[in-house]
Amino acid sequence: MTPSEPAREPLGSWNVEQLLTDALRPLEPPERLSGRLEDTLSAVTQAAAEELSDWAEELSESELRALRDPRNWVRPVFAVGAGGAAAGALVILELRRRGRQQAKGGLRSLAGRVKP
Amino acid sequence: MSAKENVEPSSLDPAAKAELDRAFEDLYRAHLRDVYSYAYYRVGNQHDAEDLTEQAFLQAYRHFDRARRESDGRPLRPWLIRIAHNLASNYYRDRSRRPQTSLETADPIAARHGTEAIAEGREELRQVMAKLEKLPDDRRDVLIMRFALGMDNREIARALGRSDGATKVLIHRAIKQLQEEMGIDAE
Repeated sequence: MTPSEPAREPLGSWNVEQLLTDALRPLEPPERLSGRLEDTLSAVTQAAAEELSDWAEELSESELRALRDPRNWVRPVFAVGAGGAAAGALVILELRRRGRQQAKGGLRSLAGRVKP
Repeated sequence: MSAKENVEPSSLDPAAKAELDRAFEDLYRAHLRDVYSYAYYRVGNQHDAEDLTEQAFLQAYRHFDRARRESDGRPLRPWLIRIAHNLASNYYRDRSRRPQTSLETADPIAARHGTEAIAEGREELRQVMAKLEKLPDDRRDVLIMRFALGMDNREIARALGRSDGATKVLIHRAIKQLQEEMGIDAE
């Protein structure tokens, strides 16, 4: 050690917690980070607000458009038609079932009449 | 960064949203230094620390409403630091890296910040930083939280999602390991 160098305490006498306190000082963020963050956050809040209002406007307009568009009428008409066809098929099945039951009853009564 | 993609529009009414934004601004102003300090000591360079800080606050903004409701009035600093902690962990995982250069000998930008006291010729501080970087992640983290951010055991426990007892033990072991590695007598 040259005479100009400060005397250094041996490490053994250091308090590690004090060293950590000195070494890990809180750091001031650079000015540009604050500016950048504030810009980003305000852009984000602005974008969120715009998206929200756009979304509301688009929703009502699109609903109106959908109601006016004849292409969108096909689906409900088809649904009514399909429902009607299904109901008709059920009626036919039920009539057939009843017809079969009547036929069975007719055979039984005929057999009864044939037996002595 | 695709900041806007990560932030969902709030479904709050305008007055509630304005109040929420004001509260978030207060949180941001109160803890920008904490988040940045934590990020810097974790990643070891100013550029990545700035990115990480920005991401942490954007994520915090996204979940702020819920965090505030669920905090029951408790301070939100541990929650913020936890976000930064998770981002820092992903930072290493995604890029498969750890700080390769010590904080004080990194690029000139980092050297500007990193431990200004070292510029005063404190060899011991340089040593403690070098040893700190070699500690296991969880031990290094608790020391950064304790000494750079001044967090108490309970806050650190909340930030790490551990019990108070486990955190106390972790801090004790981290300090002890550092003492041993530096050849410092325990007092």
